[in-house]
Amino acid sequence: MEMTHARSGGMHTSQWKAFGVCAALLVLGTVACTDPSVAPKSTIGGPTFFSDANSYQEFLARIYGGLALSGQAGPTGLPDISGIDEGFSQYLRLYWETEELPTDEAVIGWNDIGLPEMNTQTWTSSSKMVVAMYYRIYFQVVMANDFLQQTSDAALAARSNVTPALKTQIQQYRAEARFLRALAYWHAIDLFGNVPLLTEADPIPGPAPKQSTRLDVYNFIVSELTAIQSQLPAPGAATYGRATGPAASMLLAEVYLNAGVYTGTTHWAEALAAAQAVIASGAYSIDTSYRHLFLADNNTSPEMIFAIPQDGLKTQTYGGVTFLAHASCGGSMNNGNYGIDGCWWGLRLKPEAYNFYAAGDKRTAYFYTTNQTVAVTTIGDFHAGIAAPKFQNVTSGGTAGSNGTFVDTDFPVFRLAEAYLIYAEAVLQGGGGTRAQALAYVNLLRERAYGGTSGDITDPALTLDFILAERGRELLWEAHRRTDLVRFGRFSGGTYLWAWKGGTLAGTATAAFLDLYPLPASELIANPNLKQNPGY
Amino acid sequence: MRRGRYSIAALLVVVGMAPLGAQQPAGTIRGRVTDDATQQPLSGVTVTVGSRRVLTPADGHYLITGVPTGTDTLRTRLIGYASAARPVTVAGGDTVVVDLALTRRAVSLSEIVVTGYGEQRAGNLTSAASKLTSADFNSGRIVSPQQLIENKVAGVQVIDNNEPGGGLAVRIRGQASVNASSEPLYVVDGLPLGTGSGGGLSTAPLIGNSPSRDPLNFLNPNDIESVTVLKDAAAAAIYGANASNGVVLIKTKKGSGTTRIEYGGSVSASSVTRLPSMLNAAQYRTAVTTYAPANAALLGAANTDWFGLVDRTAIGQEHNFAVSGAGANNSYRFSLGYLNQDGIIQGTTAQRIALGVNYDQQLFNSRLDLRASVKGTRTLDHFTPVGVLYNAAQMGPTQPVYDPTTATGYYNWPVSGGSALTSADNPVEVSNLAKDHGTTYRSIGSLQAKYDFSAFRALQGLTGTLNLGYDVTDVNHVTFYPNNIHLQTKNGNNGSFYRTTPNQLNAVLEGYLDYRPPVNLGPGNLDLTAGYSYSQSHSEYVSLSAIKLGTSLLGDNGIPQTAIPPVPVDTVTESKLISFFGRAEYNVGDRYLASVSIRRDGSSRFGPSNQWGNFPAASVGWRISREPFMRGITAISDLKLRASWGKTGNQAFGDYRQYSTFQPCNPQAQVQFGSQFICPFRPSAVDPNIKWESTTSYDVGLDYGILNERLGGSIDWYDKHTENLIFTVPTPAGSNLSNYVTTNIGKMKNTGVELNLSARLLQGGPGGFSWNAVFNAAHNTNQLESINPNTSAASKILVGGVAGGVGTTIQVLEPGQPVNSFFVCQQFYNNGAPVESSYVSLAGATVKACDATGLRAYHDPAPHWILGFSSSMSYRRFDLSFTLRAWLGNYVYNNVASNLGTYQELTRGAPYNLQTSVLQTGFKTPQYLSDYYVEKASFLRLDNVTIDYTFPWRGQELRFFAGVQNAFTITGYSGVDPTAGVEGIDNNIYPRSRTFTGGLNVWF
Repeated sequence: MEMTHARSGGMHTSQWKAFGVCAALLVLGTVACTDPSVAPKSTIGGPTFFSDANSYQEFLARIYGGLALSGQAGPTGLPDISGIDEGFSQYLRLYWETEELPTDEAVIGWNDIGLPEMNTQTWTSSSKMVVAMYYRIYFQVVMANDFLQQTSDAALAARSNVTPALKTQIQQYRAEARFLRALAYWHAIDLFGNVPLLTEADPIPGPAPKQSTRLDVYNFIVSELTAIQSQLPAPGAATYGRATGPAASMLLAEVYLNAGVYTGTTHWAEALAAAQAVIASGAYSIDTSYRHLFLADNNTSPEMIFAIPQDGLKTQTYGGVTFLAHASCGGSMNNGNYGIDGCWWGLRLKPEAYNFYAAGDKRTAYFYTTNQTVAVTTIGDFHAGIAAPKFQNVTSGGTAGSNGTFVDTDFPVFRLAEAYLIYAEAVLQGGGGTRAQALAYVNLLRERAYGGTSGDITDPALTLDFILAERGRELLWEAHRRTDLVRFGRFSGGTYLWAWKGGTLAGTATAAFLDLYPLPASELIANPNLKQNPGY
Repeated sequence: MRRGRYSIAALLVVVGMAPLGAQQPAGTIRGRVTDDATQQPLSGVTVTVGSRRVLTPADGHYLITGVPTGTDTLRTRLIGYASAARPVTVAGGDTVVVDLALTRRAVSLSEIVVTGYGEQRAGNLTSAASKLTSADFNSGRIVSPQQLIENKVAGVQVIDNNEPGGGLAVRIRGQASVNASSEPLYVVDGLPLGTGSGGGLSTAPLIGNSPSRDPLNFLNPNDIESVTVLKDAAAAAIYGANASNGVVLIKTKKGSGTTRIEYGGSVSASSVTRLPSMLNAAQYRTAVTTYAPANAALLGAANTDWFGLVDRTAIGQEHNFAVSGAGANNSYRFSLGYLNQDGIIQGTTAQRIALGVNYDQQLFNSRLDLRASVKGTRTLDHFTPVGVLYNAAQMGPTQPVYDPTTATGYYNWPVSGGSALTSADNPVEVSNLAKDHGTTYRSIGSLQAKYDFSAFRALQGLTGTLNLGYDVTDVNHVTFYPNNIHLQTKNGNNGSFYRTTPNQLNAVLEGYLDYRPPVNLGPGNLDLTAGYSYSQSHSEYVSLSAIKLGTSLLGDNGIPQTAIPPVPVDTVTESKLISFFGRAEYNVGDRYLASVSIRRDGSSRFGPSNQWGNFPAASVGWRISREPFMRGITAISDLKLRASWGKTGNQAFGDYRQYSTFQPCNPQAQVQFGSQFICPFRPSAVDPNIKWESTTSYDVGLDYGILNERLGGSIDWYDKHTENLIFTVPTPAGSNLSNYVTTNIGKMKNTGVELNLSARLLQGGPGGFSWNAVFNAAHNTNQLESINPNTSAASKILVGGVAGGVGTTIQVLEPGQPVNSFFVCQQFYNNGAPVESSYVSLAGATVKACDATGLRAYHDPAPHWILGFSSSMSYRRFDLSFTLRAWLGNYVYNNVASNLGTYQELTRGAPYNLQTSVLQTGFKTPQYLSDYYVEKASFLRLDNVTIDYTFPWRGQELRFFAGVQNAFTITGYSGVDPTAGVEGIDNNIYPRSRTFTGGLNVWF
């Protein structure tokens, strides 16, 4: 018969033996085959995994990958978090949307569930992007916690294959995991306020966690970053995309910069010192080309402190810079010019962002205005609003990336220019330093922007308002804007209005509680220990 | 829009074959057949002896000549009468006279019904079980065995997906699980077919959403003798851990009498009944000019009916041969079946070649009964490639089909800027150039030895049964898209090739003893059964996928050079189920009946502390009609009250869910780690204490027969509670390794009533008009009771993803509501017209957005009532039968309308065609969550009409038949089909066909 070529030979011999023995025993009237256990086959359990010395690196890479990937099968399949489309669930994509869409910088034209309300500050505790961001953050936290548990001294001592050299290496990996956890917690307190603080002391799986205060988590981040600073690897090609000492300083600078928002107590001097430490490390310099920072070969930029690496062939996701590059293309734009295989017709500038820039500012070189209007009269119409394909999948030499669908362009999380701007802001806030140095740093960026000194400012022009505006110009669409506007008290309320703020074309004042996102409604149900943020 | 011609297929021309065998000494049998009650002669009775077969004329007399000498059995068959069998001995040249008096019947209480590990007379069943034999089955073009009993059993819902042989869902007494399978357990000739829908594997694509085929397609429906559905827990609990969704016992045909050759053949023609309602070229042109003037320049001058180009009149044919017979100590049946059925959409074909052997040998004075059964089938399925149906809806009707200037010769929208990604593709190009087909080899076989120990005095009444079985499946499925078609070039895939070759081997070993003490114990007799079962499963999932094909010249025959390396996957899983079971039945004078059973199951799918589960059941029956006080009431021929309770389990979900494992990456999910790329591993979120779902159910039923069974039937009430639902639910953030974990949470209940009524409406007498009818009705109420352990407050899980936007869901799992209730907002209407972006909030206000203030559970896809009416009439040599079906209270979400019924779709890079609801709604932007799209889909359908003409031919019986399936459907639903899958989401589903079949059966 035709079915003889079925591969019965594939069955494990011991199973057949069991079957035969049971058959024989049954005939004899005895029943002895009563163990239904089956060892997993094509799946890898903990003991098997850690028997490989490379496992520690592979596990740590997963925590880094939590920022760059959406799951274990690129571009989709085996997602990290559920309850949302996998492409939408990618960390960077969500973080970018929560930081940019509700501000004066960006608008997205799609109708997908949960997106339209991001443009207008009209989200609810069920809005999908808000919910997914929360789960993404805790996915990072729990991965790091699990890594720290699996690499505790006791756990390592129990494994025979951990050599002293490997153990030293693992200690550095542990510091990197703690950096990544601190980064996730920074996003947690910045976006959500009072959140649970889970560490490697908490069991996994564990009970529903208790809610901590924003201050507790803030203190934890600061103490962690301080503790691991010296254990992290040094900057260099071998640690590109990884947490280094200066990267920890940069994260510390960000946290101190916003300490007033997080704790009620400002820490300008500490912010200044942390930014100074980054600058003083000497590991980075300002890239001569602003455009290079956002192109497919931006991994070679000397300005990059901490990046989320993307790769068209090996690191594929529908989130990340793939999303940014495709979504900011549409209308009459030729996708071929941007190294991508098509346009997604989504992201444009709000008019205020377009108007950030004065004539002569070459940072706008990539803006696409043909058939586009400045005003965003209709959110759903790609032609309404200037297109801003900042992230492109072509190299500075003009070569397209390795893959048209998935980009090679890395995302700059921290770059030296921001350290300059933090320094300047801290000086103006009375955190020490000198105005002259601040002015020098700012003008360094202005000279790159204008291709000369024509855009330089003088000391009287160096004000906090100028810093906010300059951050908008320099760091446009780099996922800082919401945090900046909140720090300056202009995100909610009516002191600063922009198109579609509050849901109207002209912009309307919004309630102060919107400075924090709500905890997800689903999380309040799953975890009765949590108390919702006020106003929601 | 579509071709209205239905061609009734020409009947097969069969080579006129003379009766087999040379003339040997032979005799003659003659006699007269009458109704035993009226003593009137009966016409149209089929009288068979050996290979000889005649029909009685009006006077009831028959004459069979050329009967071989020896002893044989004379049998009769007539609809509405119990069949009769009479041994006859014929000597050479003799004429034997045999007169027969037939008993009318609607329900036969003495009929034997197969139960789990045993059998029982129908009259003595204490549980809810329904048996159907081949005479009751649906006729016409039947590809999947489940369709034989569609509409025939109260409480059994069969939902097919309209493709020939396509995947179908069976729900017995409602849906009892959410994340585990809700399909019943199938047992073929005593061999349980694993968990899920028919065990085994079927051609299921590696990616994409082309639906898999029904794994039970390997069973040739023509080989099936009877199907018994065990509906309540008392009947099913002997199958323990796999029985929560009910059990379907299938018995295949065996040989009897002298050697017989049987041929049945039919041809069919099918056509489309309903397609999505899209704008025609003129309407489309007007819409584009009005709402997307920027795109008007793109429009062509053609008038293309895209659906008309991808659908077709589908032809099918089926041939079945069987040789069967029996000797003194053995019986055999060999069968060969061939089926080739095209689908009504270009590209779809289901082909099956099925071989079957049943052999039964009695040894040692019939004390040892050996039965061997092997079924082997090759199915070849051609699927309509993914991309044909939705593009036929979306492609602009003003555009031409062909364009000689392109690489493929087919027209596609021009690419300007990045518009290609948001343009539809030419469906004819996809249909003609892409390939999607799979071959499945599946074989099941069993060897059963049954020994009667009665020869030993001390062991009188004891029988022992040993059953060894295997079930092997091997699938080879290929999906190929050339590198130069628009569907592939627009997204940079540039050709794709997928081959998946999973295989599975299940082995089952079962042994059980049955003891019926020869003397009564107390007032009644006892029947004890005890046994052991061991089953194991080994599966390998091997697949290969490649994109960016260097050339399409190899077609679907292999992978040429690719720009990126092909991705192979190989996964092995194993599972085991070990069981002990026992049952005791006690019967006092066929009057008071009781049964208790228990099964203890150990499953590899649960952690050590939860491996074992116990599944007990008990039932009692009281045959009131056997009581002395009922003797005077002759009108009531049978009356039985029964009640049952039982617990069953469900373990139909993936293996190894109890272990935390480290998942490796694929080559596209690596992480840059400094200057190198690392394949990351991810630990998985698990609940190590995961355990069975268990369902406790109660059933109270009444079986009745009135006026000597002229009316008969049953009424059942049931209540099923499922606990520890295996559910993938949100877990508190930070407490586990992902935000969802699969665990035991939640409860669900199904409550319902079932009614079955059969009647002999007309008893025409000799040569007159007879009419039998069976009516069944089932009402089921499903309610999810809880889904979250952390709070008593109602929580919701959103499900029911639809086309339109990313992540749009339109259904909800919410305590207090039926599973998969629609979760939408009430549309606001002004003068009867829906107003865009205007909803009525829960508080009654008119609001601009559909959000938490307006979303609420609103109807559900499951029918509240399922009604079936089967009728068979006979007049002289004609038989006419039909089956009507109705579903009441089911709702369907018209996703084609919600997704393509908005003018915004015209503003894409190239405009999509629109669904005609936009002409009524005028919606400019999508209103996915409007209840406007949740439509009542109650319907009445004439599922099947068949007319038979049977007449004697060369001393044999010859039967011609012709029939129509899905003759008409009356429904208010506006989409393609009101039976749009279990979840009730109609998104470019395969259209339903109307099928005309004609054929013949002949016996030699």
